[in-house]
Amino acid sequence: MPGFTHLHTVSGFSARYGASHPERLAERAVERGMDALALTDRDTLAGAVRFAKACAGAGVRPLFGAELAVAASESGAADRTETSVRRDRRRAPARGGAFVDESAPRVTYLARDGARGWAGLCRLVSAAHTAEGTPLLSWADNHADGLTVLLGPGSDVGRALAAGRPDRAARLLAPWREVYGDALRLEAVWHGRTGTGPGSLRLASRTVGFAAEQGVRPVLSNAVRYADPGQGRVADVLDAARRLVPIDVTGELDSGEAWLKDAGAMRHAAERIVESAGFRRDTADRLLEQTRATAAECLVDPEDDLGMGAVHFPEPHLVGAGRRTAQRALASRAAAGMVRRGYDRRPGRRAYWERMHRELDIIAHHGFASYFLTVAQVVDDVRHMGVRVAARGSGAGSLVNHLLGIAHADPVEHGLLMERFLSKERVVLPDIDIDVESARRLEVYRAIIGRFGTERVATVAMPETYRVRHAIRDVGAALSMDPAEIDRVAKSFPHIRARDARAALEELPELRELAEETRREGREGGRYGRLWDLVEGLDALPRGVAMHPCGVLLSDASLLSRTPVVPTSGEGFPMAQFDKDDVEDLGLLKLDVLGVRMQSAMAHAVAEVERATGERVDLDAVPEDDPATYRMIRSAETLGCFQIESPGQRDLVGRLQPSTFHDLVVDISLFRPGPVAADMVRPFIEARHGRAPVRHPHEDLAEPLESTYGVVVFHEQIIDIVAIMTGCGRGEADRVRRGLSDPESQGRIKVWFAQHAAARGYDAETIQRTWGIVEAFGSYGFCKAHAVAFAVPTYQSAWLKVHHPAAFYAGLLTHDPGMYPKRLLLADARRRGVPILPLDVNASGVAHRIELVSEARRSKGTVWGLRLALSDVHGISEAEAERIAEGQPYASLLDFWERARPSRPLAGRLAQVGALDAFGANRRDLQLHLTELHRGARGGRGDQLPLSGGRKTAPAGLPDLTSAERLSAELGVLSMDASRNLMDDHRTFLRELGVVSAKRLREARHGETVLVAGAKAATQTPPIRSGRRVIFSTLDDGTGLVDLAFFDDSHDACAHTVFHSWLLLVRGVVQRRGPRSFSVVGSAAWNLADLLEVRREEGLEGVAARLAAAGGSQEGDDPEGGPARRRLAGSDGRPAPAGSAAQDPMEQRRIRMSTGYEMHPWADLRPAGEGPAVGRKLWHQSPGSAG
Amino acid sequence: MTILCVRFQLPPMCEAALPELLGLLEEFTPVVEALPPDGALADLRGAERYFGRDAVELASVIRVRALALYGVDCVIGAGPGPMLARMALRDARPGLTRAVPGGGEREFLAGRPVAALPGVGTATARTLCEYGLDTLGRVAAAPLSTLQRLVGAKTGRELHERAQGVDRGRVVPNGVSRSLAADRPFGRDELDPDRHRRALLSAAGELGARLRAVDKVCRTLTLTVRYADRSGTTRSRTLKEPTAHSAALTRAAYDMYEALGLQRARVRSLTLRAEGLTPAEQASHQLTFDPVDEKVRRIEEVADRARAKFGPRAVMPGSLAA
Repeated sequence: MPGFTHLHTVSGFSARYGASHPERLAERAVERGMDALALTDRDTLAGAVRFAKACAGAGVRPLFGAELAVAASESGAADRTETSVRRDRRRAPARGGAFVDESAPRVTYLARDGARGWAGLCRLVSAAHTAEGTPLLSWADNHADGLTVLLGPGSDVGRALAAGRPDRAARLLAPWREVYGDALRLEAVWHGRTGTGPGSLRLASRTVGFAAEQGVRPVLSNAVRYADPGQGRVADVLDAARRLVPIDVTGELDSGEAWLKDAGAMRHAAERIVESAGFRRDTADRLLEQTRATAAECLVDPEDDLGMGAVHFPEPHLVGAGRRTAQRALASRAAAGMVRRGYDRRPGRRAYWERMHRELDIIAHHGFASYFLTVAQVVDDVRHMGVRVAARGSGAGSLVNHLLGIAHADPVEHGLLMERFLSKERVVLPDIDIDVESARRLEVYRAIIGRFGTERVATVAMPETYRVRHAIRDVGAALSMDPAEIDRVAKSFPHIRARDARAALEELPELRELAEETRREGREGGRYGRLWDLVEGLDALPRGVAMHPCGVLLSDASLLSRTPVVPTSGEGFPMAQFDKDDVEDLGLLKLDVLGVRMQSAMAHAVAEVERATGERVDLDAVPEDDPATYRMIRSAETLGCFQIESPGQRDLVGRLQPSTFHDLVVDISLFRPGPVAADMVRPFIEARHGRAPVRHPHEDLAEPLESTYGVVVFHEQIIDIVAIMTGCGRGEADRVRRGLSDPESQGRIKVWFAQHAAARGYDAETIQRTWGIVEAFGSYGFCKAHAVAFAVPTYQSAWLKVHHPAAFYAGLLTHDPGMYPKRLLLADARRRGVPILPLDVNASGVAHRIELVSEARRSKGTVWGLRLALSDVHGISEAEAERIAEGQPYASLLDFWERARPSRPLAGRLAQVGALDAFGANRRDLQLHLTELHRGARGGRGDQLPLSGGRKTAPAGLPDLTSAERLSAELGVLSMDASRNLMDDHRTFLRELGVVSAKRLREARHGETVLVAGAKAATQTPPIRSGRRVIFSTLDDGTGLVDLAFFDDSHDACAHTVFHSWLLLVRGVVQRRGPRSFSVVGSAAWNLADLLEVRREEGLEGVAARLAAAGGSQEGDDPEGGPARRRLAGSDGRPAPAGSAAQDPMEQRRIRMSTGYEMHPWADLRPAGEGPAVGRKLWHQSPGSAG
Repeated sequence: MTILCVRFQLPPMCEAALPELLGLLEEFTPVVEALPPDGALADLRGAERYFGRDAVELASVIRVRALALYGVDCVIGAGPGPMLARMALRDARPGLTRAVPGGGEREFLAGRPVAALPGVGTATARTLCEYGLDTLGRVAAAPLSTLQRLVGAKTGRELHERAQGVDRGRVVPNGVSRSLAADRPFGRDELDPDRHRRALLSAAGELGARLRAVDKVCRTLTLTVRYADRSGTTRSRTLKEPTAHSAALTRAAYDMYEALGLQRARVRSLTLRAEGLTPAEQASHQLTFDPVDEKVRRIEEVADRARAKFGPRAVMPGSLAA
């Protein structure tokens, strides 16, 4: 039996409509004996590239198409306006919102004539997305060459037929025929439904009959929504999620028939349809034949017609080449750069010239000159805008990039290799990433679009896929579950894949309660039974699309005929529907323009210094060897410094003790999952501090390995080693390095390596040992070019922290670049002696500012304070903040109210946090005055002047905020404890408990059992080398930070508390690894907020009762069982001893990476809970708290 | 401490038992005010002297009798005025009568949150808390003028007095409940307007039947829509004339429902409440020349009789029978 071709198939890329991935569809098509398959997603071609690749892999011919909503033609418009007027008149719902309008008819378009068809398809999809609201193709745009059009049950013609109006159908068909003529098909679909609606036998037979009558060719399709039978329930959930309504069990559900049926089933359908249309049974052959013929016409080749594999750069004249070729222009610009930077006058100039020419040769070999010129053009433009810009990534290894002004660091000086970036052997597109200030990223995008035009530039899409939390929310809403319950269930999960939901329930200790509930419910009849099935069914389906945060496509003028472009929802940037991997496959040049908040923070700090002191700081020119800066870094108090502020990094810099820029580069390279996993950290540190000898396998390798004490840290070193040992050249060596991560090719490389090295005269033992190094570290090392690019802002931020601390914190707080909540940065500033000045409407600016607190006296120097910003007030709009800042100074409350015109809630918040204290001391009285001013303004009456004595306001006898209420207000309004640390209020209780403060913990000895407490600042479960799941958490107690680690034997008792509490009390054992490096291994954890409550209400006895109750479950971990556990800490070095911990079900589920490194299945996930503690959640809400 | 506030612990949906329990209280004093659905206020000023026991002792007697006669337990609070009795009730539990001693009103109130005071709704409580007046003690201490600036002149004055423990309320004897409610919950999130209307039709029919059974008419109809997230929307409508006519009630209910214009709202229940009940004989009725109205009312009368004879489901609108 010949195969059947499904012409109408949607994948999961039809957001909240299709239930199967393109890969699955292609796979099933092959299994069911089909040799071609169409993908016709709704309003999108986003799945096309993945589909094409999957088809190529499976051996099916792909057909490309799209299903679009089409506006009625002019002739049919009359009825439509009537209905739309009726809809507009509908009352706005008091609650719950209006129905999602899906009334527009839908038509399927298939690309027929190769590139022409594909271009037409792209144009139609782009045109449909220009409509306001949901995508809708206007009739004026509804024409294209090389397309086949299927009018199915969802089209206007199909609807007329369903309504039993063949006359109307004929009238509606006329305009279609006029535009598409012979390319028009009528699509019959039978899903076994009753009645005459879509999917019914009667509509299908009417369609076939109508086609015969009108002389239009009919085709058969199954309007496929999912690959396999039984997925109808998932389709129901998707429908519900799309329409934002619950599944109506009494209404029409999915038929369950819309799966990728095989040829036999489709033949059966064809027979039933033609029979009921009144034809002979063998007419079914004609119907199937028409379908086959239509499929055969649709010939679009992924390579030739989609442009996969080809490269398209902007035209040379746009990137400053004038009438010259791009290569000539590039060469002359590079040479000019050489002169400008003075390299042609240096002693080693020969090396520079040679390297430049070699690089230019490689670029010419690939024809990438336009690419370099394009990036240089973008960087120039950005710099002209006064935006801080820096190149990152392997592109920094190219001297040409450096000469063009793209990369900052000199690659020759830092020993960076061009081959890591681009070589003759490498055929993939190189990528250069540039970092710009995050606050001005969109400005940069606009500049790029302005330079090259919308026909050449588009941003890249990023599909958002279902993970477990969203899946639970959508399924729960579809099943009419209680919203509060859905919320609770969803929030208790970490951010894992939806398909792991049930496995996680079984295995994760923090989900145990929920799992038990599920089991109980399951027995009683299953409130949750269907939930988990459906949640897992949604796994990884796209549910929406967002703009990729950094990718920008740059192409020649043919961009729009190769990719569909839609406007982004917020800014209206053109956005290609393809994601970042797709565009690479399509040969589109992608430039990553990353918005880096640290760049913005540093720019703000520099601007503040200049505004306040007049001193102009050029960060790019600060000396690279400032001892004070390195002293600060070595002290590991690096909060807020780029790249080295995380708990792990603070630990590492404490052990590594960097003293030069190169040390920073190494530090950054070492702190990667790979090097940590491959145990490169310990030998490096040992060798660095002279505790272990520096070893090289052979003296030839001493040069590349010298700078890192014989430990391989960089990719560049592997390239050099391979090149030296085998003499193959660095380009080839880089290819070899890339092959190392794949175990199959690793075997081949080993043989090849041994042969060539032996041929070069190295003895077997050297080869063996070198290979050992290459094998172990090859695939993990870090690209040195990356690290150098990272280390520049790291050093710059550290320098700022040391020399302009107030401005530095002002920048950090304004642009919030780090992993820690703002209140922690504030605490750090307080610890470093920066005075924190409260919010004041007469002094605060929109952003955080610095202010002179005391002039230079004695040796202390001038002290600059940090003035909090208006923009941090909860709910303030940009316009309001600007208005307040512009109107300064204000003479009285009335003056402030009248000129700054704050909204009533905002004014109230300002009063609560003391920003209006200048107008009267009692904050509650101020509130009352504000309310009356507000009422007066609204009622238009000013009969009662609430002010007395001009500036100050009259007292009203209300109780003022207590100190605790003030702190609560600060947390609620500013999300920061601005006046003092919130832990200060709990000191008495903590002293009662004998809690050790972070400051005193530094003196604690190794192995001591201590109690620590604080506000949770960050929690992670990173992958670590032992393959276990470790929860790392950081507490802040006002005197400093405490880093905690919880190993899996304590998870049963602690995980839930650690993830879901803001204030923690932890019992643990101090672990010391160096003078500056220590952490606490937790064995028990309590929610400190609960305990405080108990203390307040029941006294110490109550606390004791609580501890006694909870303590029982935390027993069974003796602190002396520590060594084994300590070893599990990963960075400690040695692998976990076998059998040190009880075998658990995790053992079988470890993710074993190709290189033998094991990973815990639940590691590296964003844990449950809501991240670090911010705002009012840190504070108990007393009934009298402000607001 | 001569006023008792009694809350009978009735099983849910047993509103009907309240009149009998009120009868029990009336054996002690004629001054009994019903607090539907399950409570009552009783003024024992005369009874104390008559029975020779004080209010707390009488409370025990009442509890014993309620348990013995009806098997219903009750919770009792006692105080010098109705407001204080009500507040005392909140601290009481079965077997423990909470009494506010005369003269100790201020101490009793001082530590309590403002929302505990009867007559202070969520809005007023929120306003007061915003200004730090979160306990009644603080309210009592605040200047009267400030309170009046906060919540208005009249409310401010009342609040000030009450927070001082001045209780000017009286127990007003009344008959049975002053409102009736009919609740129509849905088993799942219900979006279908047809099913909503059907629920309203049946609720309005039930309300009409219950009103007519006790010879009352209602002046106001209130519709409460509860949503899946437990929030709700309430709309009230004063009828053109007080009535117990099911058709008129249904019309009013439909009007309120249509005005909401619900589309995607996930409705979990619809509640109709008839308020402002007055005796039917005092109600006026606008006659019309249209014979239909007359006929409908007569049919309703007949249907009521049929229902009385054959049960509530004997006669019902066709759309509900399906």
